[in-house]
Amino acid sequence: MARVLIQMRAAIMRRATSGRRWIGILLLALLVTLLAVTTLLAGLVHYRYPGAGADVVATLSLGWLLGWIAGPLLTGDDAALRMDYFKLLPIPPRRLARAMLGAAFANVSLVFSLIAFAALIALGARSGVAAAFTGVVATALDLVLAVVASTVAVAAFGPTISSRRGRDFGTILLALTITLLSLASGLVPLIAKRLTNGHSPVLAAVVRILPSGWGAVAVDAAGRSDWGLVALALGGLAAAIGALVVAWPPLLARRLTMSARGGRRRTHGSAAAREPVLPLTPLGAVIGKELRMYSRSVLRSVMLMISFLVGVLVGVISALGGKTEGLPFAGLLFTVIAAACFTNFYGDDGTSLWLTLVVPGAERPDVRGRVWAWFLVVGPAGLLITIVFTAISGQTWSWPWVLAGEPALIIGSAGLLALTGVVSVNAPDADGGPSPARVLKTHLALIVIPVVTLFPAAALLAAGAAGHSLALRWLAVPAGLAWAAWLCRYSVMRAQRRLQTQGPEIFARLRPAS
Amino acid sequence: MNGGSVPALEFAGLTKRFGENVAVDHIDLVVPPGSFLGLVGPNGAGKTTSLSMAVGLLRPDSGTAAIFGRDVWADPVAAKALIGVLPDGLALPDRLSGREILLYLGLLRGMSREVVLQRADELLRVLELDGAEGTPVVDYSTGMRKKITLATALLHSPKLLVLDEPFEAVDPVSAATIRTILQRFVAAGGSVIFSSHVMPLVERLCDHVAVIARGKVLASGPLDEVRGGQPLEDAFVHIVGARAGGAEGLSWLAS
Repeated sequence: MARVLIQMRAAIMRRATSGRRWIGILLLALLVTLLAVTTLLAGLVHYRYPGAGADVVATLSLGWLLGWIAGPLLTGDDAALRMDYFKLLPIPPRRLARAMLGAAFANVSLVFSLIAFAALIALGARSGVAAAFTGVVATALDLVLAVVASTVAVAAFGPTISSRRGRDFGTILLALTITLLSLASGLVPLIAKRLTNGHSPVLAAVVRILPSGWGAVAVDAAGRSDWGLVALALGGLAAAIGALVVAWPPLLARRLTMSARGGRRRTHGSAAAREPVLPLTPLGAVIGKELRMYSRSVLRSVMLMISFLVGVLVGVISALGGKTEGLPFAGLLFTVIAAACFTNFYGDDGTSLWLTLVVPGAERPDVRGRVWAWFLVVGPAGLLITIVFTAISGQTWSWPWVLAGEPALIIGSAGLLALTGVVSVNAPDADGGPSPARVLKTHLALIVIPVVTLFPAAALLAAGAAGHSLALRWLAVPAGLAWAAWLCRYSVMRAQRRLQTQGPEIFARLRPAS
Repeated sequence: MNGGSVPALEFAGLTKRFGENVAVDHIDLVVPPGSFLGLVGPNGAGKTTSLSMAVGLLRPDSGTAAIFGRDVWADPVAAKALIGVLPDGLALPDRLSGREILLYLGLLRGMSREVVLQRADELLRVLELDGAEGTPVVDYSTGMRKKITLATALLHSPKLLVLDEPFEAVDPVSAATIRTILQRFVAAGGSVIFSSHVMPLVERLCDHVAVIARGKVLASGPLDEVRGGQPLEDAFVHIVGARAGGAEGLSWLAS
């Protein structure tokens, strides 16, 4: 039966990787290979502080194991072999569990992980043959642990795809992972420095005490001929795998019989009871609807949360390292991310565009309302972060830079979002999550939006800095504003006209193929 | 202007292709004012495609669709003001409650807040959604979504209702409520076109019927004329030229 499942997965993957998708997959493979080789090198290099090698390898192993657990959770499930496919088959859970676990081992990712975990062999080889052999056993056990833990995690924590709310869980996890990954670039050098200097016994103890670190502990102990500890660590790994294998069939059975997770039902107070704040016009209606969606849609709140966390923490982390030059730009970073995340106004709302299309003359207030709502949500927050962080940083030189940048960025982006939203429409994928094209668009927008909105201000600021002219630098503030205002107006008008003339064509891209 | 002989809805040579597949093939159809027309046809016959072109959601390759004489594609604002639409299986802003959606749509149509709130109250009560008025639509059942979408179609008191499968997934009690609402709407001079697979329902509600298959209108007119003295279901199978299968093969089933 495992063979049937492997064939099924291969067939689904073949279909999924046809067409343009393979470019993305190739890039991903390249990135993962790079990470794997880096991990392997971490086991090969010499560390001055004894035991530092084991600490570093234990930390990296933790990263890989987390990747194995988080990966399938993020895609919602085993992207190819959904458990929901097997719900109705009369197969005993124990047999299905064995087969699914077997099929999980037929995974290309194992090759990359083998390269990465081989860091344990490299680490051991530095201390002799026995330690190298311990490394071989530890590598094998780590690989098995990764596969088993990954499979079990989906059954234990994975959301049920069938429920509309179940997807929310995956969205939040994805957001947190992206955030952590982007912050890791700031944190990893800090952690690595502390570990290799032997300055952080607590951190070292934590990464060694987790199951992901036991392989490194065993290899380290083998190097010191501490065979008792070797046996304990390797035995512990085997026991952890055994425990997961035993826990897997009942978990799968529970998962297969579980209906859609019935979360709490939240209700919203009556809009009628409240005194209206927004104008009682079509524009006011759209702004009101959009503001409610920002506060209630998980996708939208999570995107705002990522923007805030990354924007603020990147500056704060470097400030903790003693460098406060980045702090004034936290608001700009927040705004850029918040803009890039919302470049898919109409795509993200799916087919609900029909409501706008059947109401006569609704296109104009719809475009404007969406722009206003984004502006009201992001603008004040971005401006506040900019002013507060610039003031605390004590970097007084940066005032003309941030005051020229932030308002222009907010206003210019607001318009660009409207235009991007109607020109590039990415419908949600089958699970309701963001499609690969939408993710790519977000990444491109991270570069394009600041370049387009800020280049006049940036040119004046650079000229002012080069020519030591304070007046030129301050001139960037009104110049940036004027450019952004024109850009916003032009983009919004173009967006309105496009929605008016191309509404049905935009709608057709959101609708599943007829 | 809306009364008299101007058709509530008129398709003339309406055509739509998706690649090689001709989904709707030069359809001509008239919905007389004040009539209740059932659009029936097998799966994939082109019902949803035709109705989408009638309300401005799908641009036809050729031909015209006019609402009370106003061309949907040449004069969309005037045409759209006259119709209420219930599409099948499309999303709503699902983090909003039913009442919030109605308030949003009413204001978007330029109605006054007081009128919208009063009508929303009545619609929610009559459609028995008032118990869930604070619940976001994401937590609604399929039948409840159908009902709130119907409420959005009725809110601005349109002259023509275009309904795609309005009774699908709706419980019998709610279905009876919707039937009564629609019958009252027609009795008061409104016009309705709705698509359905359920022949007895069409027979019970409609005074006109159009049979559509493979993108063409095969028969249309007053109900009695189209069914010609036999049950609509039999007439339908005869008109469509299909043979009700299921009698051959499958010998192993329940053996």
